Amino acid sequence: MTHRPLALLVLLSTALGILLSGCNVARLTINTPLTPESVAFIAEGRTTLADVVDTLGAPDSITDAEMGSIVTYRFLNAKYSRVNFGWLLKPWSPVDPDFVFSRSGLGADAFELLCDPNWIVTHYAFVRHRPEPPFTPYPF
Amino acid sequence: MRLVGLLLVMMMLLLNACAFSRGTLGDELKTETINSIKKGVTTRAEVLAQLGAPDRVLQLNGRDLFQYYRYDAKVGSLLLIVVNFSRVSVKSDDLFVVINREGTVEEVIASKRTEGLEFRFWPFGD
Repeated sequence: MTHRPLALLVLLSTALGILLSGCNVARLTINTPLTPESVAFIAEGRTTLADVVDTLGAPDSITDAEMGSIVTYRFLNAKYSRVNFGWLLKPWSPVDPDFVFSRSGLGADAFELLCDPNWIVTHYAFVRHRPEPPFTPYPF
Repeated sequence: MRLVGLLLVMMMLLLNACAFSRGTLGDELKTETINSIKKGVTTRAEVLAQLGAPDRVLQLNGRDLFQYYRYDAKVGSLLLIVVNFSRVSVKSDDLFVVINREGTVEEVIASKRTEGLEFRFWPFGD
């Protein structure tokens, strides 16, 4: 009886292996993605850039603006998944057949702050409002 | 015990390879060097002597902005026979030094995000 769970485990692992033939899942993150919740502490007209840097770290760029400076945080969350169903035919085919579904999604965004000459945040906003990309190889 | 043994054997059969890669861009920004830059005291020449020429120089309402940065990328790949997982994580250390018209440091903005950077394989979750 004790061998049954082991046999089942081997069977399930083999089935999973066959089903997942030729799968690739990859992800690229640049800096920590910011969310509206993570920047909720910023109060326009009161929070200073030093307060923001204490919480979020240094920005990626600071540029000149007519009314002060624009401080930008950039981040990227890219996901890629691929399934090659051709692997299912590999044991019976003389060639390496490929039948690939793949999809990638880019969750690139930037968070910008407008600071006055005294480094007080006067406005802030996300640039693109990109949704979180899913891991879905189905491209249609 | 048998289950653990079986899992180990299965893992050895399925594990084709694993890979660690790393790439860096720029010189390390040392914490003690950043801490030695004092607002209203340190001069432009002293900043340049300690940190070298900046990666970028910008004009900010008549003031100079020196930007120094360093990027660190860590890649972990778990290559099984039938499925591969990989994850690339990139973070940066940034230092901004604002120098006023008199040539002294007005503001220092810095953080070291690469200190918490880890090799990761699992692409799901945060």
